[in-house]
Amino acid sequence: MSALVAAAPGVYVREAGAEVIKSARMPQFIIPTIVLPPAFYALFALGMGSGNVEMATRTLATFGVFAVMGPALFGFGANVAGERETGQLELKRLSPMPAGAHIAAKLVATIVFSAIAFALIYGLAIFAGVRLAPAQWATLATVHTIAVLPFALIGLGFGYRLGQKGAIAIANIFFLAMAVMGGLWMPVAVLPEFIQTIAWALPSYHLGEIALMAAGQSDAANLWLHAGPLALITLAAAIFAWTGQSRHAA
Amino acid sequence: MSPSASSTVARLEGVSKAYSGRSVLKDFDFALEAGSVVALLGPNGAGKSTVAGLITGRLAADAGAVALFDRDPRDTDSRARMGVMLQAAGLPEALTVAEAVGLHAGYFKRRLKTKDILEQAGLTALAKRRCDKLSGGEQRRVHFALAIAGAPDFLVLDEPTTGFDPEARRAMWRLVREKADAGVGVLLATHHMDEAEALADRIVVIADGKIIADGRPAAIKARVAGSTIRIRTGLSPAHLKMLPSATKVDQRGADTAILTTNARATLEALFSADPALTDFEVTSASLEDALADIIANTVKEAA
Repeated sequence: MSALVAAAPGVYVREAGAEVIKSARMPQFIIPTIVLPPAFYALFALGMGSGNVEMATRTLATFGVFAVMGPALFGFGANVAGERETGQLELKRLSPMPAGAHIAAKLVATIVFSAIAFALIYGLAIFAGVRLAPAQWATLATVHTIAVLPFALIGLGFGYRLGQKGAIAIANIFFLAMAVMGGLWMPVAVLPEFIQTIAWALPSYHLGEIALMAAGQSDAANLWLHAGPLALITLAAAIFAWTGQSRHAA
Repeated sequence: MSPSASSTVARLEGVSKAYSGRSVLKDFDFALEAGSVVALLGPNGAGKSTVAGLITGRLAADAGAVALFDRDPRDTDSRARMGVMLQAAGLPEALTVAEAVGLHAGYFKRRLKTKDILEQAGLTALAKRRCDKLSGGEQRRVHFALAIAGAPDFLVLDEPTTGFDPEARRAMWRLVREKADAGVGVLLATHHMDEAEALADRIVVIADGKIIADGRPAAIKARVAGSTIRIRTGLSPAHLKMLPSATKVDQRGADTAILTTNARATLEALFSADPALTDFEVTSASLEDALADIIANTVKEAA
């Protein structure tokens, strides 16, 4: 252990705390990413599909994934781009901060805000009459938490490559495209055939399907049909983020 | 703080660095001692930022040795003894000054207390202000606070007083001077000659990847002929050039500037040649004149 560098666990905790505070103090970030998905869910499950518990359960699974996408794509894409552009990333890199602390802290903050968003949706779902076994709720929450990872990596890859404005624009496009084409708002089966093909390349589609299994709305025997492609997409996203990071370091 | 006054903080030996085939530094030697402020000056693209990049471990040398505290600058322990103030730097907008400083200080084991950092950087009154509510000069003071947070033995300051009013500049110079007097080695990159002159113990002038001058500010100034005499005279430039010790004559309309290595000798000859001469002014060469002269001469020799 170095005599000069602060102990890593303390740095990770403080860095994560700072990230949560930073995001919480930015209402322009918080409101759309946390409030929008539950509001949409309320519209679908309590408004249009009122009384249809099966639909409320299906959309609970897929809207949970939708709720995670915003904080992950914007938190990583736009924020990292901004911090890189203004030299804040460079200053951290020149400090003895452990290399992983910054990304780990952002991941923690993203999970915190995603969890608030999908917890609000869970509450609305119960209000709409959805009933799941405790184990199902736990599995669903785990799937929704894991869903942060691929979107965060995609956001990070853009954050290392684009300016803040560019990263926000791209995050918006990905946010909407992955929600619609990944079948998070309505099932992929009702979408045109070419979009059904594209959906296979989207993490949102596979996460939506796995969430449906967790909520007992789809046959879990097909898990690897979606977990396999999801793992490959996540690996590709990790490479995309890693190459962006080393490009920036050079 | 224990380093003796003569210990070397940073050293470059026989360093070469090229960007996509274009050589920026070639067989470059440089050393920075503890307790001294060294200003790097030179035209843009001369290699200043490359030198700073190598010392801070941001860049890797193609050949030669770079050492910070006798270690690789990219070692975490080297970085832990260094404080950096970047030229283009933002701050975490939503954090308060105290939060931002405390977070950064937390990366260092041998850190100063947040309260003391804020006090040293003159930020105590702004501790609870959010970073996005600060003026440009206040933000720069926060950058300085971040640089000193880990009680560094080596400070790198890139254009530390850009956007400052004269009083704030002098205050910042005092802060830097205090650190140097306490034994910190300071590398200063600046475009402001007055800043280099006021702050630096040593000025290193880089042009075309080579050190072309290295010494105390006064010594650098002395390298150009002593002073300039400004007069209004009817004498012809040809006549003026014949004056003793005159090295250069520059005529603009009725105003004439004579560069001289011995103002007294030149003036005496001038008075006898032009008895009507009453209006004259003598100024010593500025550091800016000296640098322009040194750089121009180097370029001429190279051509």
